[in-house]
Formats: sequence, C-alpha cells, structure tokens
Amino acid sequence: MTARTMAVFRKEVIDTLRDGRTIFAIFVFPFLLYPAMLTLMSWIESKNDEDARLLQVRVGIVGEAEIPGLREWIAATPGVTPVTLAAAPERLDVGGVDAAFIVPAAVDSAIARGDSVRVELLFNDADNKSTAALQRVRPILDNIRQSLTVTWARSLGAKAEASPPFRVDRRDVSSQTDKGRFFAALLIPYLLVFMVAAGAMQTAVDATTGEKERSTLETLLSTAASRGELVMGKALAVLATSITGAVTGIAGLWLTFNVVTKAMPGMGESSTLQLTIGPDKAFLLFLTLLPAAVFLSAVLVAIGCFARSMREGQTYASYVYMGSVFLGLGSFGQQTPALRQFFIPILNTALLQREILTDTVNTLHAITALGVTTAIAALMLVVAVRLFSNEAVLFRT
Amino acid sequence: MIQVSKLTKTFRDRKKGDVHAVRGVSFTCKPGQVFGLLGRNGAGKTTTLRMLATILVPTGGTATVAGFDIVEKSAEVRRRIGYLSGETKLYDRLTGRELLQYFGALAGMSGTNVAARIAALTDRFALAELLDVRVGKMSTGMKQRLSIARVVFHDPEVMIFDEPTAGLDVIAARGVLALIDELKRQGRTIIYSTHIMTEAERICDEVAIIERGEILAEGPVETIRNRVPSRSVEDVFVSVVTGAAGGPIDDR
Repeated sequence: MTARTMAVFRKEVIDTLRDGRTIFAIFVFPFLLYPAMLTLMSWIESKNDEDARLLQVRVGIVGEAEIPGLREWIAATPGVTPVTLAAAPERLDVGGVDAAFIVPAAVDSAIARGDSVRVELLFNDADNKSTAALQRVRPILDNIRQSLTVTWARSLGAKAEASPPFRVDRRDVSSQTDKGRFFAALLIPYLLVFMVAAGAMQTAVDATTGEKERSTLETLLSTAASRGELVMGKALAVLATSITGAVTGIAGLWLTFNVVTKAMPGMGESSTLQLTIGPDKAFLLFLTLLPAAVFLSAVLVAIGCFARSMREGQTYASYVYMGSVFLGLGSFGQQTPALRQFFIPILNTALLQREILTDTVNTLHAITALGVTTAIAALMLVVAVRLFSNEAVLFRT
Repeated sequence: MIQVSKLTKTFRDRKKGDVHAVRGVSFTCKPGQVFGLLGRNGAGKTTTLRMLATILVPTGGTATVAGFDIVEKSAEVRRRIGYLSGETKLYDRLTGRELLQYFGALAGMSGTNVAARIAALTDRFALAELLDVRVGKMSTGMKQRLSIARVVFHDPEVMIFDEPTAGLDVIAARGVLALIDELKRQGRTIIYSTHIMTEAERICDEVAIIERGEILAEGPVETIRNRVPSRSVEDVFVSVVTGAAGGPIDDR
C-alpha cells in the first residue's frame, strides 16, 4: 500500500462523506427507513388484526340438518352469523355470505352404503372478508370430521353416543429466540450482500466515471501516481463505503428490532423476534463479507472505469446491484446447498453466512467460498487497473 | 527540455477507421523558453500534449521530457511535469487546502513539505481566501488561481499548458500569462498550446503551427513573424493553414 494509494483513498472518502446522496444512503437510510418500515408494517398488521376482530362475517350452510350441531358451532364462533342456504351459491357475494359450508343430502344413508361423503367449505381467497371468515370457521372442519366419524361408526354398529374425546392438534414449540435465529440465518446473509452492493454503488461510479464527467481525469492521470495506485485507492474507498453501508445497515436493523420495538409496545409478534447474534458470529460474518465486498467494489470500479458517463455508470452499477440481490435471494430455501453453489460469488457468501448463523459450517464450503471470491476479487481488481490504463476505454466517447 | 521526434498518434475508430490525430511531429523545447503549439481546434495540439504528459501512449515516434522517455519512463516524466488544461476542472467537494494536499501527496511530497509549500505559495497566489473554501463555492477566478497553484505545487521542471486561458476573462487570462512569464524566468521548460495568436506572440519564444496533426511551420516568433509583410503571427498562421504559404516552412 503506497502513500499515493492512501492519498487517493483519503480523498475519495472525504469526497464521499461530503456527498449528500451517499450520506443519506449509508447513514440516514438505515436509521430512518428500517424503523419507519417496521413501524408502518406493525401499524398495518395491528390495524388488520383490529379490523379482523371487529369484522362481522356471514357463513352460509347448505344442508345444515345433515350434521347435528353445525349451525350451533358456527353461531358460537365470535363475529360469525350463520345463514341457511337452500343451495350452493354460484358466487358467495350473490348469496350474501362470506363463506359457505356445503353438506350433501342424505349423509347418513350415504355413509351407511359405504359411499364417499364430501363436505366443502367455500371461500374466496381474493377477498379479505372471505378469508377472515375462513380463519374463524376452520376449526369447525374438525368438528364436522368427528361428527361424520361418529355417524360412520354407528353405521357399523358401534355404540357411539357422542364425539370421541380426542383431538389431533399442532403446537409450535419454538421460542422467540429460535424464531429469531431462523430469521437471522435467512435474512442477514441476504441483507448483508444487498447492503454491501448498495453502499458501494454511488462511490464507485462517482470515483471513476465521475472523474471523466467532471473533467478531472486528465489532471489525475498526469500526476506521478501510477494507474494501479489510483485504482487501488479508489477501490479501497469503495470498499470502505460498502463495508460501512453494511455495518450501518445491520446497526439500523438491530436498532429497529431491539430498541424501536421495545419503545413501541403493541407491535406484532414478528417485531419481538430476538434478532441478535453473538460477537463471535458477527466477527465471522464480517470476515466472510470482506472478500465479497472486495469483489463487488472491484467489479463496480471496473464498470465505472468503462462507463462513458455517470448515467451509463449508474445503469451498469444497478445491473450489478440487481445481480447481487438476485444471487442473495438464491440463498433462500437452500437447505442443503451443493458444493458447486459455493463457486458463485455473492451466493457463496450468503450461503456460508447462513451456515455460520446456524452452526453448520462445512469446512470445504468455507474454503471454496472464500477462496473463489478472493480469487475473482483479485482478478476484477486487475481488470479494473487494466481498464483504467486503457486509453481507448478511458477516453471513449 | 522536451525533445519530440516523429511523434505519431493514430486512434482506432469503429466507424471512421484509423484517425491520424498526430503525424510525425518533431520539435524541441528548451529550458527557460516557452514553446507555443499553435493550431485550430482539432489540429492535434491536445493529443500531442497528452502524449507528452503520458496520458496517451504514442503509436509512433519518440519523445523525452526532462531526459526521460515518455513511454519507457512515464512515471519519471509525470514526477517532473505540471499539466494544466483549460478544460480540466477541480474537485468541487474538496477545500483548496485539501486539494493541494491531495496533489502534493500524489506528487510524493510529505505532509511537512506540503504544509511548507502551501505557506510558500500563499502570498503569490493569494491562497489565504481559498484554503478553507470548497472548490464548488469558488468563483471562476479563484478556481483558476487554485489550478495554477496546483500545477506549480510540486515545483515541476517542465510545464505543459493546454489552452489554459480557455473560458477565462481578460484579467484571469492575464494572470495566467504573467505566471508563465515568471516560470520562464525561473528557467523552466514550458510548452503552451493555444489558438489565440496574440497570446502566442506575447509569451512564446518559439512556435510551431500544427494543422491536421502535422507541423507546417516552426521557428522563433520573430522569424515566423517576418514571413508576412504585416509581421503578424495571426496572418502567418492563416496563410500557413490555408496553404497560402505554399507548403511547410521551417524557419529554425
């Protein structure tokens, strides 16, 4: 690292720190946008819950006499009014109901004959009120099953007087910490690569294409600094910005989930998740993020050297950004990623970070991901220096 | 000293094919002299100066600046030159002091030397009012003073000026010319391109008239001037570039 490289780095950092757009993206955005988004989402969730609680729905019944107690079960459900229907409506809204149980005629004799009996619950998934009705009366499906089972048992001669006293149910045994760890493993790797790319974009284009657009390039190229020193200084500044972007992004998330939610009681369950990670894992995440950040910085600097104008540079940078988002999203739903996926930059970082967060680090995966990303990052830096040394690229119009 | 021999630059263009911007240009610029490169827009002045400043690589010929080959020893050349173009700008978000510190560091100066140099140049360029102001907030005249201070900041022995008065008002342009006079008296080697003939007459010791990448006339200003009855460099320039002089002239 030469003194000239450090001079370029310092200058680019000062330049960046005085650029309102970058300051907003790196420092203001995470501490303003994330709490605002969470607050808005929680408010919408609370409002929806409240609206749903107050909502009165009408549930139709066709063939209510076939299943004893069906009307009573519906009537006993809060916010639901049973409505007797003569036949299944073609459309729920035409029938004046939000959902409807359709029980076929002569259930007893059909069961006695050994025929199949099908009871339907009609609802409209594209209608909020209808889905609210579904949520409320869904437990009644269990009651119907039990009632039909009793009828079937009787038809076989069993002396069943009432529904059997058993219940098949489900119970979530995860703690908020478990849920938080799961979401952290899913979300944080994606967010980190996304934030690194977002943080690097503006500085990379400004430090490279900006020199062309502001007519400062010639002055810079005529100084004693070599092209390599200039590119390395700029890439370092982009790297520093991208890492800062990721750190402030995570800090913004931490603030949102750990401070804002506690200061605002009544937020939804999701907001009380324990999205905390220990310092050891945070350090490992940082280490794994470094090669990816170098890679993205080098790619963006190379692109900036190539672009003719800020607009063109920003367009190319946005492609890189979208590519990073796409690759980051690729880490979702990868329960057992194949080794070949660790050869793809960004995706490999996100997958490795998920392994770190879930304590399932595979050494081969780690070596592959870090090695490949570091090698490609170094290659991209060489490409960036070459482009910055190529007058046909630098001065193309 | 700048020695240029058959310097050539050809750009490859997909649509136009090969574009010969500079064709076998040769001249010598001695210390303590101002060598003027006169030409119309697009004549090849800027390309020639960019090659001398090692911003562009020649496709033919050779040149040495301060004794160093511009291709083989480009880093050594850049250490010894100050380059100022009328088209180049400064960094709006830096203050005057930060800008000088930046270019001082790029020239390899230590922090102490940079501070001492700023102090030394403060009076000459009235830097006091520029040092703590961001470039973006400066007037055109202030920016020009800072640009010139930037060029001489690392005390280069060779100065390359590419139409440095372009876009400047009369007062600012006079300031630039006065500085060049001063640098000449200090014994520096100065190459100066312009399409303003009165400027060339005023400050240049020798001139070369360049047209379509070729030098059509070259020699001391006085000798060039004597080519026409009016003793006007502008008239010589017009006659040479329009072919009235009947072909290339070498008055060395």
